[in-house]
Amino acid sequence: MHNNAFFHFLSLLLFKQKNKHIGAIFISVIIIFLLSSVLFISSSLQKSLQATLQNQPDFTISRLQAGRAVDTPTEWIEKIVQIDGVSAVTPRVYGRYFFAPNENSFLIVGVDFFDEQSNRSLQELMETTDLKSFFAMPSMLVGEGVQKFMSAHYYSDSFSFKLPNGSFKKVAIAQQLPSSTNLIANDMIVMPLELAKEIFAMEEESITDIALNVPNDAEWDTIVGKLHLLFYDAQVIDKREISKAYKSLYNYKGGLFLILYLITIITFMLILYQRYSMVYSAEKKEIGILRAIGWSIQDILKLKFYETLVIVISSFILGVVLAYIFVFIFDAPLLQEIFLGGENLANSVVFVPTIEFGILGSLFLFFALPFFASVLIPVWKIAVTPPKEAML
Amino acid sequence: MIEIENIHKIFNEKSSEPFEALKSITLHIAKNEAIILSGVSGSGKSTLLSLIASLDKPSSGKIVVDGELISKLPDLHASHYRAKSIGFIFQHFNLLEALSVEENIIAPLIPSRLDIITIKKQAQESMQRAGIAHKASQTIRELSGGEKQRCAIARALVTDPKLIICDEPTANLDKANSLKFIEILSTLKALGKTIIVATHDPIFDTLPFESRLIKMEDGRIVDE
Repeated sequence: MHNNAFFHFLSLLLFKQKNKHIGAIFISVIIIFLLSSVLFISSSLQKSLQATLQNQPDFTISRLQAGRAVDTPTEWIEKIVQIDGVSAVTPRVYGRYFFAPNENSFLIVGVDFFDEQSNRSLQELMETTDLKSFFAMPSMLVGEGVQKFMSAHYYSDSFSFKLPNGSFKKVAIAQQLPSSTNLIANDMIVMPLELAKEIFAMEEESITDIALNVPNDAEWDTIVGKLHLLFYDAQVIDKREISKAYKSLYNYKGGLFLILYLITIITFMLILYQRYSMVYSAEKKEIGILRAIGWSIQDILKLKFYETLVIVISSFILGVVLAYIFVFIFDAPLLQEIFLGGENLANSVVFVPTIEFGILGSLFLFFALPFFASVLIPVWKIAVTPPKEAML
Repeated sequence: MIEIENIHKIFNEKSSEPFEALKSITLHIAKNEAIILSGVSGSGKSTLLSLIASLDKPSSGKIVVDGELISKLPDLHASHYRAKSIGFIFQHFNLLEALSVEENIIAPLIPSRLDIITIKKQAQESMQRAGIAHKASQTIRELSGGEKQRCAIARALVTDPKLIICDEPTANLDKANSLKFIEILSTLKALGKTIIVATHDPIFDTLPFESRLIKMEDGRIVDE
């Protein structure tokens, strides 16, 4: 029966009864659009995160006493440098600076710019910075969120930090950190180590942590062991843990959407099932008429299968394309805030186009199979009843 | 052509209140014969037509059409039999409302594997025979009762069936349209078709062609 006449008749039914299908297509497109958007955002964030973490130091080590973070002594650096396989050992000072009027905070990271070799993105950034003017006066590099926040509060060229002794320290804004690092550096301020110490009123010989690299991945666990042997009160965090933490955060948010999707699709499929199995439905009469004029059960199922296939494929393609445009062209307004959170500083991330075809394929199956079942099971039930009854 | 032997049809057979719609019906219909089944509503006329058209199956007994036992046919064969041998004209027309006249008429030919050009050609001939060709592109919703009837006739004729079955064909028609319908039946009879009409319309009492009147009452044939 797969001849041109069959497809001609199929297209007639689809076109002439389009009002019957528009509702199903509309709801399907919304469901697919939302879930695809979430999947695109999640995949893109994870990809961006991996790229950002590539440029971060492999390890940070800090001191914990009775579970409380305390200043890390600078003499640790000398000992860490002695460990074979360790490179780019850099002292760092970091901490949150609270901007009281709005209850916002910035993450200040103080690094030794002359010694800083561990952060490759910072190195690239410094290449484009006028170092002469940067070091001529107190200066800082700020994340995009910080830049926007400061501009909104009329601090477009510099910002005056309130020091613990009550005086103010004016620091010039030298440059904005690249937007591609927004995922973790949106609220970050990078400044010379000594300046950061001054803002936090730290001792000359104190730092908050030490960053280091271990180029050979296979040695990571050994190095962690050695660090713990050297410093019994050290807390060592490696890049993998940060990656895992972010991944589980995005997976958790994606999972919530998946549950919502499941609830929505089950409801939708139940509605479809009800529609097709209604005792006096137009569908039932149509099937009864076709059966009475000589269509077999098989013919009816084929017709409804192809009808559903057209609806499913067109809804899926439309939903995915709209989601692609929404996420990768318009940067997913609203959904972006749900994923990134904007309670501190508004973050705007440019999503790098990433399509995981395996996930899209699974999504198609999870959508298409229940859809087909919700249509074809009641259609089959009607088709096997005597045509006379179905036409009633 | 049609041999019906000791047919019974019981609805709700397994329930506590079964209803026996047909009781021991035996009937022989020759080729090119015109049968008028008359009787009040509920006498079993429509049920008998459904069994002959294989739209339903008898509870017991057998129906043989052209040597083929159609009362026991599996679905695929029953559908093929309906498509090839039966032209059914229903009381309420049973047309697909959203489609046009032509689109309704081609519907029985879709499973036939014919190409769309041949199908449309056959539909055109059928529409001309039923006098509805001028309304080919109009949707069913736009037609009058008489036009719907002619569309239903064209659909019944499009497969060139041997047997034309009509269930209360004039119940929704005025007298003028009923007479036109009888004219069409007369033409079909002249073309060698076998015709079975279930009706209680007195207009069928005097027909312009030879026919056999069978009276039904309470699921039985009471007068032949």
